[in-house]
Amino acid sequence: MTSDEELLAAALHRDEAAFTALYRRRQGAVYRFALHMSGDAAVSEDVTQEVFLALLESGSRFDPARGTLLSFLYGIARNLLLRRLEKQRPVDSDTLTEELAADDDVLDELTRRETIEAVRSAVLSLPAPYREAVVLCDLENASYEDAAAALECPVGTVRSRLSRGRAMLGQKLAVKTVRSMS
Amino acid sequence: MKEDYVLQALAALAENDRQKEAQPEVEARLLGAFHARHLRRVRRQRRWVGITTLAAGLLIGLLLWPNRTPKPAVSAVQPVLLVREAGRPAPAAMTVTSVTRAPRKAARKIAIAPQADEVVTDFFPLMNPAPSFGRGQMLRVQLPAAAMQTVGLPVSEEHLGDLVQADVLVGEEGMPRAIRFVRFDVK
Repeated sequence: MTSDEELLAAALHRDEAAFTALYRRRQGAVYRFALHMSGDAAVSEDVTQEVFLALLESGSRFDPARGTLLSFLYGIARNLLLRRLEKQRPVDSDTLTEELAADDDVLDELTRRETIEAVRSAVLSLPAPYREAVVLCDLENASYEDAAAALECPVGTVRSRLSRGRAMLGQKLAVKTVRSMS
Repeated sequence: MKEDYVLQALAALAENDRQKEAQPEVEARLLGAFHARHLRRVRRQRRWVGITTLAAGLLIGLLLWPNRTPKPAVSAVQPVLLVREAGRPAPAAMTVTSVTRAPRKAARKIAIAPQADEVVTDFFPLMNPAPSFGRGQMLRVQLPAAAMQTVGLPVSEEHLGDLVQADVLVGEEGMPRAIRFVRFDVK
């Protein structure tokens, strides 16, 4: 299979098929990252489009020595999202925590769908640095190295943010079991 | 233990969203942008070629413009002293390779008397810095002697309006690269 880097090189030389193949291979990951970071499908589509436009304009700046192309795309998406998130009112995480923590059996009472939406809301309520780590490593299964490249921080920082983010999620969810999700 | 719950919850969310992706319209818009970008680049290249050609034409036109001013015939064949002014450093000459001489059939080009020997100066660069020179043409033109002053050669005041002959080296992109001046030593 043609590597991401080869597809990018061809796309930058006006190879439409290569650009299309690269987009189809990676757009889902970029879209989901944006979706889990913003919670907004329209924003996620805009960001996905802007990421690949930016790749066309400045893809020559990609350096394989600094990480994979996917981490490069995550990095572009992250910068675009942070700019948008700065303009938005943050989710009131305290309110969410109180609502979920009020009843320890809350997840048992929720349907699978509701539970997933509750988890989604909890993720969205995390402060951005922890949310980024959780979304990349736990939802998108990115390696610590890829996450570090995307977040422009050391691997150790990714680990610590991930640990802290999970702990915060645990507090928010306040669950004893996730039987309903299995 | 709590972290296990969190990981399971996150895994459920990831599994639920695994198939989520951007709408096909995004791909269509991106492909449109891909083509538009390609077209913009082509247009930009064409515009630069046009600008470069126009600039080259203007430069050559400026060089040749005095040639259209009627001058006494005698001044056109007066040899001009090609001696460097004392104490005034001459500009660096340009090394020229791979030059093809243009056919001498245009009216502006001067027929050289067979009994005369050409004496030429070094080439003086007209572009600084000059891009690398691969191929080009050399055009024999007539210029006012004042043109010699622009490259640092001395010309007495009374001869500034006289016409002198020069070889202009034009790169294949159409830009004049260098010039040298010619006089004839009649045998």
